[in-house]
Amino acid sequence: MEVKLNPNPSPKKDPGQAKTSSNKKRKASEKRLAYLLVAPSLLLILLIAIWPVLQSFYYSLFDLRLNNPTKSEVTLSYHLDLEKYLNSYPFLINVLEDEAGKAKGSPAETLNGLISELKEVDAGIKEDSAVKKQYEQVDDKLTNMEPVSEELSSVKVDKSDALKLDRTLHKVTSEVKGLKGLKNEEDALGLSSSLNEAVIKPNFIGFDHYKNNLTDKRMWMAIWNTSAFTIVSVFLELVIGLAIAVLINKAFFGRGLVRATILIPWAIPTAVSAKMWQFLYDGQNGVVAHIFEKVGLVGSATDLLTTNLGAMFSIIFTDVWKTTPYMALLLLAGLQTISSSLYEAASIDGASKWRQFTTITLPLLKSSILVALLFRTLDAFRVFDLVFVLTGGGPANSTETISILAYKRMFEQTNFGDGSALSVIVFVCVAVISMIFIRFLGRDLLTDR
Amino acid sequence: MNKKAGPLFYLLLAVFVFLVMFPFLWMLVSSIKPINELFGDKAFTPFTSRPTFDNYISVFTNYPFLKYLWNSFVVSGITTLYTVLIASFTSYAIARLKFKGKTVILGLVLSVSMFPQIATISPIYILLKNIGLTNSYLGLIIPYTTITLPLSIWILVTFFRKIPFDLEEAAKMDGATLMQTYWKVILPLAVPGIFTTAILVFIAAWNEFLFALTINTDDKFKTVPVGIAMFEGQFTVPWGDITAATVIVTVPLVIMVLLFQRRIVSGLTSGAVKE
Repeated sequence: MEVKLNPNPSPKKDPGQAKTSSNKKRKASEKRLAYLLVAPSLLLILLIAIWPVLQSFYYSLFDLRLNNPTKSEVTLSYHLDLEKYLNSYPFLINVLEDEAGKAKGSPAETLNGLISELKEVDAGIKEDSAVKKQYEQVDDKLTNMEPVSEELSSVKVDKSDALKLDRTLHKVTSEVKGLKGLKNEEDALGLSSSLNEAVIKPNFIGFDHYKNNLTDKRMWMAIWNTSAFTIVSVFLELVIGLAIAVLINKAFFGRGLVRATILIPWAIPTAVSAKMWQFLYDGQNGVVAHIFEKVGLVGSATDLLTTNLGAMFSIIFTDVWKTTPYMALLLLAGLQTISSSLYEAASIDGASKWRQFTTITLPLLKSSILVALLFRTLDAFRVFDLVFVLTGGGPANSTETISILAYKRMFEQTNFGDGSALSVIVFVCVAVISMIFIRFLGRDLLTDR
Repeated sequence: MNKKAGPLFYLLLAVFVFLVMFPFLWMLVSSIKPINELFGDKAFTPFTSRPTFDNYISVFTNYPFLKYLWNSFVVSGITTLYTVLIASFTSYAIARLKFKGKTVILGLVLSVSMFPQIATISPIYILLKNIGLTNSYLGLIIPYTTITLPLSIWILVTFFRKIPFDLEEAAKMDGATLMQTYWKVILPLAVPGIFTTAILVFIAAWNEFLFALTINTDDKFKTVPVGIAMFEGQFTVPWGDITAATVIVTVPLVIMVLLFQRRIVSGLTSGAVKE
């Protein structure tokens, strides 16, 4: 309408203008809609994948142990557990005063010195008015035998006060021991050590977990096991998978059956197939172990799961069984995109089958091979279920992979700081591997196809 | 390619199929053997004269196996429904709409799909524990998103790209809004692709092990893979129960694979092959 009312219309230009303005509108609304549609996924990925990885890194900088109450959370500052403190401090003073009353001469002097030092520290803590208020609240509750909430009990204190308390308590312990023969020595020592537990130090330790892990033989052993497993199994899967793909890349009767056969090992849960193979590898009753022994592959059927090399072989064999068919499937799909006219032309020119394979098949299959290799390598490097169920990392950690080691640190030793450091190491390895592959693949993995 | 398949080819094929299927066949045979034939002399005979269903009965009576199956079914089912729904919006936008940052988003999705699960487990575990979601269905559905969402987006984008663009142009000419175009034109055509994605996502969630092992430790919330992996007898490994349980898990999978093999293959290869 506006266009028509334009006093100086240029007929050729007008419809164009109208079109561009409505197009612009449409484009803007398309953009808005697109971001709206993408937002939920991005938000979820951010929350459930990116945040945990960053948080893992943050945890790895702390001495985080879920079974140790003083280290079960990450803290950057000094805290005092007032409930514990007030349950010990007055009694320690009492015990010391009692002993000082009985003693004479220099021991009495020492004890009185300790008492005044402790009182000084106590006064220092109460100097902060906020701390003092909380201190008194907890004290009241304890005298009335009321429960103290965790929130009320924990108070942030100055680093200098906390360290002073710590030092003084060490002095108390060593001097009480030095005085030898105090009647209530054990009480004093016990109270002093439980008072020490009231001081919650920050568990930030910087890169110590990484330092320890990078010099730990067991970590390097796990990296070695993981790499050996990855390289050998992925190599075998590629070679055998390619052979199968080339073999079945033709019309034949029973394609459906073969395809189903290929899919079943892939579809079954890895943990279940690992349990199944554990039965087949069993030293006494396992049929596969029995066959391997008969054909001379292993000296004795029991070697498979009880020797280092046997266990690694078992894991690789199972992985090859489970994923070679899948690899063949990916490569077969790649093969089917190669035009048969290329092969016809080559055979007219008299090229041998092998020459056709190396000059036509391999170059044209390159990107399919690289994509399959990338996914398989990353999958193999983070292997967990298979090893966990089949060998548990044994015997003697000979099949312990880096993911298994991280799991054990976290869930068996509840050492989440160290375990997180290991999982960050796994993450970095995986990132490096994918970067290498993506350099080879270039950007065509992501661009429009 | 129309190379002729000779008898030697069929022989090789038969050997291949037998080798791949052998473990399953052996499990099937072993599962109907009486317990004492699993050990000793008869351990290696590929048949039994006294077939029995004792192992199958034992699986359901000595373990909460039905509960495991139900747990797996609920967790995988809900995960599939909600991930595929969210992923279908995102994939539609990436595949069909024009906006900046597509490649970055797709790159992000791809990198997240390569994340090792172990790298996300400690914060997720501590968070779920603190908000009381360990030993619950939600406690697994939430972390499974890390695995299933990138997977579904990756596959669905390829499917959405295959739908001819002319259809959208035609809808645009007729004055349909973008959302109308999505619901009335694109979505019906994408149903096969979405269904394929759903199958793959369901299998991925069904097979997940690490999260299931660490987050749901209570027998009431264990999933099938963890349940079977934790089968333990009082004195010996209960091989009879394990063989029967494996068969029970495998049979529905075989049926599913036979029914949907074409779809599964197209989904598996969609992101991996350039056409």
